[in-house]
Amino acid sequence: MRSILSSILAGILFFPTQAFAAIGCTLNNPAEDLKYLFPGMTSYREELKEFGKLPDGKKAFEGLPARLRGELDPVYETYETAYTVYWAFKGKEKLGLVHGVNVPGQGGVIQVFLSLDPKTGAIKKFFFQRLESPAASALRAKAFRDKFTGFTLADFYKHDHYQDKDPKNPADKVGGIILPKTVSGKKDLQAALRGVRKNLVLMDLFVFGGMYEPFFERAQKVGAKAPGGKP
Amino acid sequence: MSPKSTYNRTLRIIPLLFGLGWSFLSLSALGKEDPFAGVVPKSSDAWEERDFFTDNFAFRKELMAEFGADSLGEVSSRQSLGFEVQKKFSSETATLFSVDLQARLVRRDGFTDAPNDMEGMTRPGWSFEVHNAYLDLYNPFGGVGSLNLRLGRFYLPFGLNLSTDTHGSLLQLSNEADFGFERDWYGGVWGAFGPFLYDLDYLVGSGYDLVFKGQRGLVAGRLSLGNRIVSDTGLEGGFSFANGSRLSMAGMPVETLRGGMDVRWKGAGPAGSLGFTGELALGEDDQASVSSQLAQADYLHASRTWGFSGQFRRAAREGGSPKAWVLAEATWYFRNDMAGSNLQWLKLNVRWPLEGAALTGATLFTLQYYQYW
Repeated sequence: MRSILSSILAGILFFPTQAFAAIGCTLNNPAEDLKYLFPGMTSYREELKEFGKLPDGKKAFEGLPARLRGELDPVYETYETAYTVYWAFKGKEKLGLVHGVNVPGQGGVIQVFLSLDPKTGAIKKFFFQRLESPAASALRAKAFRDKFTGFTLADFYKHDHYQDKDPKNPADKVGGIILPKTVSGKKDLQAALRGVRKNLVLMDLFVFGGMYEPFFERAQKVGAKAPGGKP
Repeated sequence: MSPKSTYNRTLRIIPLLFGLGWSFLSLSALGKEDPFAGVVPKSSDAWEERDFFTDNFAFRKELMAEFGADSLGEVSSRQSLGFEVQKKFSSETATLFSVDLQARLVRRDGFTDAPNDMEGMTRPGWSFEVHNAYLDLYNPFGGVGSLNLRLGRFYLPFGLNLSTDTHGSLLQLSNEADFGFERDWYGGVWGAFGPFLYDLDYLVGSGYDLVFKGQRGLVAGRLSLGNRIVSDTGLEGGFSFANGSRLSMAGMPVETLRGGMDVRWKGAGPAGSLGFTGELALGEDDQASVSSQLAQADYLHASRTWGFSGQFRRAAREGGSPKAWVLAEATWYFRNDMAGSNLQWLKLNVRWPLEGAALTGATLFTLQYYQYW
């Protein structure tokens, strides 16, 4: 009996952790949310994504701070964190994908979900699943969220340049995202922006095969600030 | 050409020259300020790798060390090692079904009725416990999300337990005290319609072991607020019912009738988040009236490294004296993943009896180390 127990204990404790995943930010009820985002949807498929399963996952993870322009949060942004991607279909046609991330806000977790175009990775809809913030009503407002429609990761990489070199350039779409002056909780706006950016960066890595890397490389080449700045 | 016409022509040329100059300057400025000109997204194939262990497969380990001591001098130890396996199966366009298996190997010495170990009374020494073992079949009749099937062992579809993971926590919800078990073997349907979610199941009514000892089983269900309402307002809530017969802790069939309502709110608090939970159940056991109430408040600091909880619970049965407790708990988190899937904590829980003979009538201290990864 003792040897059997020892084998079970050893088997469990030394099972290779990196081969498996803890599931990160998921939709509470995927079917309901996806039907709302894609009214013509006939089915959906979930896919679990992890850095540990990428061919060069360690390197990709180490490259995150530069792409996010900030250090990673030790609670919210670990190598082991897994990400669930939801693909929406109409028959066999891909209507889009939905993905969510967690970012720390003033009052706790902020869960930022994006629905993206399956070919270009452009934002179709942006919504919060969980948002505990003094700025919650302003951030949840449709008029605010609609400002992100059509944004791609390229817009964030371009923003790095404009923010440093030409802050008032009207071509800086991300720089144009502001909340009314009367709204408190501006830190949560920064957190939400970081959430949108992180979401796009992760999808570029996991789904779009680095489609927007040329914009990141150009931003680096023209001297965007080193990690540590705000998104 | 008259001097006047020359003057007029000059006047017409000046704006043109200004325009040309402005355009030149603008183009120069644009050329300087748009270093992304000519940069286009690259086309590349997305990375894709799929086999049984990489496609929607998760394996997690669990370690728990728990010690109890009460004011009457009783002490207890509960040590366990467990795992959870989750796997989702998909076609090219749809997730079809999923399985979940969660089990523990447990060693118990002594018994102090810890808040999360009611079953420990009948399980001294070694035991192997299956907590979750269920299959979810998604949209078997078409449509999306309106009708799914569940078969196996999982939380009772009564109260907030279906949407609350109490697998590792010390504080529990009402079901274990109310029905004698918080999980049961069952089959049924679940899904969403409009702004609501529903669960409707037939339960074996045996709790821990899948056995029939004269009980007919229970029909139970819950109607609750959909997740869009939860997301927008932080408010969860629902109505539940259960009717039929189940096995008591002593293994005897008990005619059971319950109606319940529950509510929970989560939102921002000072430098962290707050949660308030309430559950109420009324009904009959073998035609004797029973009732239970639970109220709980939780605070989690924004760093997610520490938190406090307080709970009040009360249970009454016709012909017996009501029992009530108040519990306080402090938690230090070493890991506290958002989704509850990478956890490590130390909890200290104190339970004081308020009313009636709450088993031993003693004040109970429970210390728990827990890791789930």
